[in-house]
Amino acid sequence: MDLWVKLGEREERARVRRDGDGGYEVTIGDVVHKVDASALGRGAYSLRFDGVQREVVVRASGEEALRVSGASAAWEVEIADPLAHLAATTGGQDTRRRHRKVAAYMPGRVVAILAEVGATVVAGQGIIVLEAMKMQNEILAEADGTIKAIYVQTGQAVEGGDPLFELE
Amino acid sequence: MPTPPPIARKLKKVLIANRGEIAVRVLRTLREMGIRSAVIYSEPDRQSLPVLLADEAYPIGPAPSRESYLKGQEIVDLAKRIGADAIHPGYGFLSERSEFARMCREAGVVFIGPSPEAMDAMGSKVESRRRMIDAGVPVVPGGRDPLADAAGAAEFADSIGYPVMIKASAGGGGKGMRRVDSEAEIAAAFRGASAEALASFGDGAVYIEKFIVDPRHVEIQVMGDLHGRVVSLGERECSLQRRHQKVVEEAPSPVVSPDLRRRMGEAAVRAASAVGYANAGTCEFLLDADENFYFLEMNTRLQVEHPVTELVTGLDLVYTQIRVAEGEPLGPEFDDVQPRGHAIEVRLYAEDPFQKFKPSPGKIHLLRWPEGPGIRNDAGVYEGAEVSIHYDPMLAKLIVWAENRPRALDRLSRALAELRIEGIRTTAPLFRALLADPDFRSGNMNIGMLDRKLASGELHGLGTEESGDLPLIAAAIHHFERAQRATAVPRTTGRRTLWRAAGRRDALRPGGGRKG
Repeated sequence: MDLWVKLGEREERARVRRDGDGGYEVTIGDVVHKVDASALGRGAYSLRFDGVQREVVVRASGEEALRVSGASAAWEVEIADPLAHLAATTGGQDTRRRHRKVAAYMPGRVVAILAEVGATVVAGQGIIVLEAMKMQNEILAEADGTIKAIYVQTGQAVEGGDPLFELE
Repeated sequence: MPTPPPIARKLKKVLIANRGEIAVRVLRTLREMGIRSAVIYSEPDRQSLPVLLADEAYPIGPAPSRESYLKGQEIVDLAKRIGADAIHPGYGFLSERSEFARMCREAGVVFIGPSPEAMDAMGSKVESRRRMIDAGVPVVPGGRDPLADAAGAAEFADSIGYPVMIKASAGGGGKGMRRVDSEAEIAAAFRGASAEALASFGDGAVYIEKFIVDPRHVEIQVMGDLHGRVVSLGERECSLQRRHQKVVEEAPSPVVSPDLRRRMGEAAVRAASAVGYANAGTCEFLLDADENFYFLEMNTRLQVEHPVTELVTGLDLVYTQIRVAEGEPLGPEFDDVQPRGHAIEVRLYAEDPFQKFKPSPGKIHLLRWPEGPGIRNDAGVYEGAEVSIHYDPMLAKLIVWAENRPRALDRLSRALAELRIEGIRTTAPLFRALLADPDFRSGNMNIGMLDRKLASGELHGLGTEESGDLPLIAAAIHHFERAQRATAVPRTTGRRTLWRAAGRRDALRPGGGRKG
C-alpha cells in the first residue's frame, strides 16, 4: 500500500507491505524499516524495529490525521492515499475546502451565538461561545466566508464532534 | 473556649460529602478501619469511582454543585436518615464552611474537622491577622492604619525595612500600589499612590506593608486532638504554582533546615492553639531568602497535597482525623515527627498544556498508571470513565517517594514515562518539561517562577522530542490495518453475524456445540 504522510513540515511517500514473517516492511522516503507490530487493542501497538521497542497508541484525529502517542510525546500525522492527496492539492481542494463544517471540540453547552446565517465573517471571528468545565471558549471561523448554516441553539448541550455551524 | 473533650465513641458509618479522588482517599481509610462508607453523588457522577468503591451511595441532585454537593442541610439530613454518625467533608465544597459544621453539630453528627469557632476565627483575614499577632506568630509586617503624610510613611517604612509596598486602603486591582526600594523614593511614591487611590476609589488613604521579594510558599501541616494538644508534622514546599494554583508539592522543602523546620512548626502550633484548633489543618507561610517566614492563612481542612506529608512521616492523616474525631488523644508517634526521605506530588489535570491549559473533558479511552517502588497514585477516575465538564478537572495526584530529592525526581520521571492516558489531554507534558528545568531540579523556586517560565516560553521545549520515523511508521501500520479490516469484512456483515455463523458451524460439527 502506497501512502502520503506528513509530520509537521516533513512530507514523505510511504509504503507498507506484509513481509513473509508476520511482520511489516515499512518504507518512509527511501528508508526501509522491518517492523514487528503487535496490536494491543484500542489503537495501541508494541512496535519493534531498528533495535528498539516502543509502545504507541494511534487514534483518529480529524478526517485524515492520526494522533500517535509515545511514552513522553505525541505527534499528529496526516496520512492519505497519494492520488487522493495529489487531487486535493491540485484543484480538488477547492471544492472540498469550501464547505467547512465546524464541530464542537469537546462536550459543553452553547451559551451564545454571535453570528447569523448568511452573515459574512472573517477568519478568527467568534461565531459560537461554548461553555465547558466552567470556562467559556469562543469557536472561531477558520477562514473568511459566509455562514451557511448554524446547527445549534443557545442553551443547547452538545457532545464533542457535534456540528456547530457551516462556513461557505 | 476549647470544646470539652467528648466521650470517646467509635464511628461506625461515615458519610463522605465530596467527590472524585478525595472521596476515594477517605473511603479507602474507612474500609481499612472497618467503618462503613457512604458517599453522595450528583447525576453525572453515578458511575464515578467513589460510588463504585463505597458501601452505600446516595443521589444528591443534578450536576451544578450548588444543587448537589453544596446542599449542606440535605447532606446532614441524609446522614441522619442513613444512620451515619459522622461526615467527612474532604477539601473544597463544604469543608471550610463553618455554618455546615454548625448544622452537623446541631444534628448530633460528628463533623470530621475543626470546630466552627476555629473555622470562623481563621476564616476572616482581619480577625486571624490580629489573633496571630497576639499569639506571636509572624505576619507580613505592616499596618492597616492609613498613613498621615510622606514623613509618616518614611518613618514607618524605616521601622519595617525596605523594600515596602504602598497599598490603597480602599484598594484592589493594583491601583494605588507602589513598590518602594529606598528612602529616597518614598515621598514621591506616597504622593503618587495617594493621588491614584483618590482618583480610583475616591479615597486617598494608603498604608505600608513589607514587600517580600520572590517568596516561597511553605506550609506546615498541623494536627490537633480534642484534649488541647497540637503538633506539627513538618512542612510542604508548594512554590510551583500556576495562577495561584499549586501544581507540584514536595516534602520536605529543599531549603528548610531542621532549625527552620522547628521554628516554623512552633509558629504553626501557636497559630492553631490560639484558636483552639483540633483535627487536621495547614498554616501557609511565605518564606524569604533570609529564612524569614510570614503567616498567610490557615486552611481548616485536609489539603489536596497531604499525601507528601504522609509519605515522609509514615502517618495516615485521614486515619488520624477519624481517631481525633472519635475523641482519641494524639499518641506518642506524634511526639517528634521528622521527615524521612523525600516525596513529590504532581497534580494531573484534564487540561492541555499546549493550548493554554484549555480544559479537556471526555472519555478516558485508555489508562495505565505507573506502579512499582515508591509510587502512590490517588485517582478519582478509571479507564472508560467520562471526565465531566462540571467539576474541577483534577484527575489524579501522582506521588513518588525516594530516599532523597534527586532520586525522587528520577522516580517521578520514570513514573511519567509509564503513565498512559489516551482520549483526553493532561498536564503530564508540563511535568516532563519541569523535570528538565534546571531551576526546578536544583530546588530553586518561588511563587512567581512557573507563571514566568510559561509566559516566556522557556518550558515550551515541552514535548518536541526527536521522533525519528516512529510516528510515521505507527501511523502507516495503523492505516494499513484499518484498510485491511475495511476490505476483509464487508460493511453489511456485522460482527455479530460472523459470531453467529461461527457458532452455527461449531454446532453442526460432530460433537460440537458448547456444553456444560
